[in-house]
Amino acid sequence: MSRKIERLINLTIALLATQRYLTKSEIFRTVEGYEGSAETKERMFERDKDDLRSLGITIDVGSFDPIFNDEAGYQIRSEHYQLDLGEITPTEVSLLSLAADAWQGAAFADAAQSAILKLSSIGVPADPIDIPGLSPKLSNSSADLETVTEAIANSDFLLFDYLAANLESQERTIIPFALSNRSGFWYLSGVDQEIQEIRTFRLDRVQGVIKHGKNRDAFEFPTAFELSEADTIVNSRFAVIDVRKGKGQALRSLATSTKDLGEWDQIKVPIHTLQSLASEILWHGDDAFVHEPSDLRDYIVTQLEILVSNHE
Amino acid sequence: MSRNISAPLQRTARLLDLVPFINTHQGIALKDLAKHFDVTPAQMSADLTTLWMCGLPGYTPLELMELDFESGFVSIANASTLSKPRTITFQECVALLLGLDLITSSLPSDRQDLVKVAESLRARLTQFLGLPIKLSVVSETSGTVAMAIARAIETKAGLHIRYHSMYKDLVTERTVVPVNLYESDNHQYMRAFCLTAQDYREFRVDRIDQAAPTEVSSEFSGKSGNTEKINFSIRIIRSSRDVSERFAIQQSAVGTSQELSSFSRQWIERSVMASGDAVQLSIPLDIRGEIVKKAQLMLNRYKEA
Repeated sequence: MSRKIERLINLTIALLATQRYLTKSEIFRTVEGYEGSAETKERMFERDKDDLRSLGITIDVGSFDPIFNDEAGYQIRSEHYQLDLGEITPTEVSLLSLAADAWQGAAFADAAQSAILKLSSIGVPADPIDIPGLSPKLSNSSADLETVTEAIANSDFLLFDYLAANLESQERTIIPFALSNRSGFWYLSGVDQEIQEIRTFRLDRVQGVIKHGKNRDAFEFPTAFELSEADTIVNSRFAVIDVRKGKGQALRSLATSTKDLGEWDQIKVPIHTLQSLASEILWHGDDAFVHEPSDLRDYIVTQLEILVSNHE
Repeated sequence: MSRNISAPLQRTARLLDLVPFINTHQGIALKDLAKHFDVTPAQMSADLTTLWMCGLPGYTPLELMELDFESGFVSIANASTLSKPRTITFQECVALLLGLDLITSSLPSDRQDLVKVAESLRARLTQFLGLPIKLSVVSETSGTVAMAIARAIETKAGLHIRYHSMYKDLVTERTVVPVNLYESDNHQYMRAFCLTAQDYREFRVDRIDQAAPTEVSSEFSGKSGNTEKINFSIRIIRSSRDVSERFAIQQSAVGTSQELSSFSRQWIERSVMASGDAVQLSIPLDIRGEIVKKAQLMLNRYKEA
């Protein structure tokens, strides 16, 4: 096996050092390790190229004589091969290691450490940041994050079964372009291919594994989308709710405005779905009272009547 | 490195990364080098031996890399082609960006200097990705609170906290002595002895909105009273994702019953209320009675209005 590894290293060095494209015959003649019949060498080279690419190395294919359009040549450009994040300071090195450590035991632990290993070769020593308690973790991330990231990188499709609010399993196909973590949950946003609209999914509500599908068409990234909007609905309706003073913390955190009514406060809350808001209001019992809209009021009243009859 | 890369390829990657690292750490002890790359010293020797055979076409001593590691200390020369670190991959960059976002949102409010540095890094990493994708992580815990808790645990000191109890729907102020921090169900919790309750309590860290060190007399009893779990049973009337997630149950077929338990009566009552027509509480009977009373009270108010 170590002969193959030697050959891969030698190929990388040769393709990096050359100032022009090297043809296959030049590579077979000069790079050590290409032996056997023409066909064997050909196969070896094809596999070696794939292997180097899977390590994230970009190999350019071109012709060094454009006029005669002769044999294709290969080259690795140093600007593609080498790390260039500009000047890195010791404080930045420390922040990046904290960032990598946040993945400890989670999906990108290996990727993050591999990045840190490369960064350590720059030779800039870390300037430790002394903040007690600063070791937040990105735990509970699913193994699907690798598939998700690969699809984001190539604007490919992701196919999965999603658990809807009514417990129905829905088949979804999206082109993903955003990944976020809020309140301890991972959210994936993408353009739903069936309706051609942006939708956001909570990753722990995906059932089974996420599948990856190749997309060969160009993808136009939505530019106006902000992650903070993922939860709210444009042109949403509002509910007017009375909340007892000192109570209803969770409802108050949703409020867009608050009016002091003495023993009570009147708040205005956007309605995401009627059911989810009703559930939040019912959780607060007699500390919350709905004025508007009437359909929310009616829904709450029906729920209360059923609660009474179910528990009498 | 992605897990789906074969062992020989992992080794190839390691060899490529070894060259720039030795280049900036000339004379490093072989065992330290092995540790840095997370391999045994024997494996590291084998890696260096392989690397020794590599170089530019021609492969005479003039073109081969010069590696010296017989003394137990490693140095390298004639390796200019590979001397710069390899670029990071898309996935590695995404991992760093998400991690960095979490760190930035966890910084205590008095460290705006670090926030600035992190933002500049973030900008460069985002540019590196080269795609207009959106990545964000918002820490659920305030950095200032996390720092105060960590200090209090370290020095076994008291902490005055403002806590939002979800079950009681109350913001309370209490004095606690933190014991430890742990993660459960996607959230960070603090276990502490609460001097107000004279018992151990668990606090969700994201619901602590203020925390300040405070003096605690050294003679708090620290004994735990017995908090017993309350058994309860629910019957599923309409199955929904909301109910499955709220009660943390896998099976929620209509008509089935679930035997569950909780430390908090209030939580049971509120959860059943919030589930509305989807769930019926079978036992305990006294909580059933409370639900009827409360629902009736609310209905009266809606009918009056």
